[in-house]
Amino acid sequence: MNATTDTLRLPQRGSAGEHDVPALRRPGARPLGWLRRHGRAALAVVLLLVLMFPFLWLVQIAFRPAEGAFDDSLLFTPTLEAFRALLQGNFARSFANSLVVSSLSTVLSLAIGVPAAYALTRWRFRARGRVALWILITRMAPPIAFTIPFFLAYRWIGLLDTVWGLALVYLTFNLAVVIWLMQGFFEAVPAALEEAAWIDGCGVWSAFWRVTLPLAAPGVAATAVLCFIFSWNDFFYALILTRTHAVTAPVAIVNFLQYEGWEWTKIAAGGTLVMLPVVAFTLLVRKYLVRGLTAGGVKD
Amino acid sequence: MASISLRHLRKAYGSTEVIHNLSIDIRDGEFVALVGPSGCGKSTLLRMVAGLEPITAGEIRLGDRLINDVAPRDRNIAMVFQNYALYPHMTVAQNLGFSLKLQGLAKAEIERRVQAVAETLGLSAVLDRTPRRLSGGQRQRVAMGRAIVRQPEAFLFDEPLSNLDAKLRVQMRTEIKALHQRLGTTTLYVTHDQVEAMTMADRIVVLKDGVVEQSGVPLELYDRPHNAFVAGFIGSPAMNFFRGRVQRHGAPAVLTDDGLRLPLHRLPEAADGHEVLYGVRPEHFELQEGGTLEARVVVVEPTGAETLIAAGLGRHQVVAAFRERVDAHPGTALKLAPRAEHVHLFDAASGQRLN
Repeated sequence: MNATTDTLRLPQRGSAGEHDVPALRRPGARPLGWLRRHGRAALAVVLLLVLMFPFLWLVQIAFRPAEGAFDDSLLFTPTLEAFRALLQGNFARSFANSLVVSSLSTVLSLAIGVPAAYALTRWRFRARGRVALWILITRMAPPIAFTIPFFLAYRWIGLLDTVWGLALVYLTFNLAVVIWLMQGFFEAVPAALEEAAWIDGCGVWSAFWRVTLPLAAPGVAATAVLCFIFSWNDFFYALILTRTHAVTAPVAIVNFLQYEGWEWTKIAAGGTLVMLPVVAFTLLVRKYLVRGLTAGGVKD
Repeated sequence: MASISLRHLRKAYGSTEVIHNLSIDIRDGEFVALVGPSGCGKSTLLRMVAGLEPITAGEIRLGDRLINDVAPRDRNIAMVFQNYALYPHMTVAQNLGFSLKLQGLAKAEIERRVQAVAETLGLSAVLDRTPRRLSGGQRQRVAMGRAIVRQPEAFLFDEPLSNLDAKLRVQMRTEIKALHQRLGTTTLYVTHDQVEAMTMADRIVVLKDGVVEQSGVPLELYDRPHNAFVAGFIGSPAMNFFRGRVQRHGAPAVLTDDGLRLPLHRLPEAADGHEVLYGVRPEHFELQEGGTLEARVVVVEPTGAETLIAAGLGRHQVVAAFRERVDAHPGTALKLAPRAEHVHLFDAASGQRLN
């Protein structure tokens, strides 16, 4: 029986199979039908709007004139004055610092972590399990526990307020993630492919470079994105370990609140600019990101 | 091309020894099949020859060269893997030319060799495809082509046909054998399928638990197996075994516990009453009208070329194979008689051949 329509059948005398009582409908059956067909999509849109609301609100503030930052009007004439004002100050430099630090730490993390992960995957040595666990444990400690030691050490070495200093700190945190993730991707590459490469004339490094790495490329892309995002979004260490020269974008935005008054449109513009590279990067590699994070590699 | 010589080879994982003092000689140009049940060490042996597995003790020689500690890439051997191990990110042409590129050959020369091998194996039309878009048979040919193009001193095959369907397997068997006849390269072929070994090899080595049970030409292993294991392993359907005691007085025979009297051609070298295994191949049964052995038919399997009949004989289950069409149905009785001159006798305790 159709759940949205009830057909009332009265027992018939004489005539067989005919019902002469019209079908009765429950009140509100029509909107219920629409909901059933489009409900899931509608719910997704609603959820998306709820989640995206803070970002969308921020972005639209960035394009408003300074006086009307919190106007209720949905329609307004967008203006770039906030962005212009932002770039006239030191923000461009902070933005560049963020780019350099994040890229540097990502490249270093991959350069060191990827071969390490490969060695851990393929080389069966006795302490293998312990080493892998030890590497993972380094990521479990709360970052805040290391701030003072890092600060003192950097001050002594002379790495305070430097781009390299910050990149090295991010390296120490990203390395464990790189090794941990890449191990999984390398395990998905069949060892038989490397053995075939050895027989074909490769050495261990050559087989890794020509066969294993290309096949683990989606994994490398996914890991790179994660490293970049971790480094880019960091506020805490950037705050502690920088002063003026190596200030990164997240810290620069906070400085607006303290030193340049409460210029909401400039803060919003700064926030929008800080979001952009990560969003763009993720959109570019999202194909690899999904593949890398779900499939994990190669089916022979 | 070169000979392969394995001398007193041992392989142990920790305290577990998997290959025990094994010695095999493969002549230059010979096709040797290494057969045995799963876990007998045949793949481990192959990998040791390839250099993918370290040796615990012993010597491996390729021609005159001792290659115990030589890296796989310097051994000048080529291997075809069970799962083909084709490089998924390269095209067929790139797969075939990979080893040549590593050798530093000129591009033109690489292309010439790749084209030649592709034509031999019927791969010319698929050179631009990646392995994902190939059929099982095509992938198998690419794996073989990758080995051939290098012109190595020896080929190693690790169960290359086990992933193919039955029809393709038969076809590829013939192709591999034809290839070997054409190229004449020394070949070591590992398989668990004794039919493959029988049809393809110049010589078969039967392995069990890391020990060589018998080595010889296929028909020698088939006609005169040295022990019960080889007798039961080689031949399909497998040999029928009856456990019984030798009777020397009167007409020599073997008497089983369930009262079967199995005839012997001549007096065996065993004492009266000695416990033996009486082996008869399915095709060595004949139908005898007045025979004493009455079997009850369980299953009839006509393959077209022959008829296989599974029957109960006493408490034993036997399989008999007849070339001619036999009128038998499940439940009917058949008078079977083993051909005494083709019977195999083995010691029941040691499994060693007695006749």
